Amino acid sequence: MANTVLLKRRIKTSRNVSKTTRAMQMIAASKLKRAQEAVLASRPYVEKLGSLCKEVGEKTDVLSHPYLLQKDTKQRSELLFILAPDKGLCGGLVSNLVKTYLEFSKASYVKIVTVGKKIEPAAARSQNELVASFPFGTSLPTFEATEGIITIIKDYYINQKVESVKILYHKFLGLFSQVTTVLTLLPINLEKENTKHVSEYQLFEPTLQEILPYLLERYVEMAVYQCLLENFASEQAARMIAMQNATDNARDIIFELTLEYNKMRQEKITNEILDISSEGVNQYA
Amino acid sequence: MMLNIEVLSPENVVYRGEADEVIAPTSNGQIAIFPHHVSLLTKISEGELIVKSGKQTQYIAVMDGFLQVRKDFITVLADYAIQSEDIQMHKAEEAKKRAEKLLEERVGQKDFAIIEADLRRSLLELKVAQKRRRVASIQHK
Repeated sequence: MANTVLLKRRIKTSRNVSKTTRAMQMIAASKLKRAQEAVLASRPYVEKLGSLCKEVGEKTDVLSHPYLLQKDTKQRSELLFILAPDKGLCGGLVSNLVKTYLEFSKASYVKIVTVGKKIEPAAARSQNELVASFPFGTSLPTFEATEGIITIIKDYYINQKVESVKILYHKFLGLFSQVTTVLTLLPINLEKENTKHVSEYQLFEPTLQEILPYLLERYVEMAVYQCLLENFASEQAARMIAMQNATDNARDIIFELTLEYNKMRQEKITNEILDISSEGVNQYA
Repeated sequence: MMLNIEVLSPENVVYRGEADEVIAPTSNGQIAIFPHHVSLLTKISEGELIVKSGKQTQYIAVMDGFLQVRKDFITVLADYAIQSEDIQMHKAEEAKKRAEKLLEERVGQKDFAIIEADLRRSLLELKVAQKRRRVASIQHK
């Protein structure tokens, strides 16, 4: 008797869990839709801006702007931004991030800035100097959210406290695929071998010195923003899949438990009938 | 020989197509670009970008950004861009009024910049949309 009650309780628990996970899946799905649109819409713009910066950078003297200056790679001190979700329950997203981060932080001396609560414990455990931490937020990142990040980048990079700035985030490739990526934001990576355009005559209006700062700053802002968007979309996609799996698992468990419960109930009834009938047979005999 | 033009903004790909002539507002004034134009990189200021191909003319409102010409391929990277057909007059009008009202109720420095940008954007949208309407009505006569 006690056993059937126990089973019934477990079925009820599983059912409640599946309800919760289903709701979370729905929320993630609706957030994902907007995030996906935003990511895909701004990607061409950011990519083009990036390639434009590289093109222009290749044509000019690297001394013309600090963002282009390639520094000595031996004295590595870098500023690493780690983008993580604020909330958990999104599959292997956070643990992947921590793994990549730990590998990365071993290699060189890094100062870190965390964006998102979930990376904070890992960051605190590591030996690296924590510069600042921001919340990531649970809705689509706004452009204003980049403001704090940009301020820190400028402060550390322009004042030469670090030689390079990198961002560790999840690139959104699709619903089932998010890849931890390290983007080297500054200095802007120039491929010097690619010299075939250099000879071409190029006009700048008003002058290159006037355009360049705007162009590079715009690029940095947009690249940071794009990373935030990609990371947000990845988070929602991962959560949606994780919650879908959880819902499916809960359903399986409910199915098995119900089967067992029914068996047990049937067995009990059979036993009772057996008792009654054997009693009857005894009376007649 | 045709020009290829691509207008990108952070929100979407605004326009992509071929053109005979492109007229763009730059920080040094309006420029017209024909095929075989020299490679150029310039800053664009707010105004209307006119794309002419054959008899068709497209008007695109653009806010600040960059324009690159390379081998008859024009790329416009605008902070904000919208095709004149997509501009909804009443919405732009509303946005303008809202921004004006907010500006009157003196706000902080930061908000001020945002609201002013909003106002400038809605004014630009209205200007481009109205102009296009006039052009359309003249052509009909």
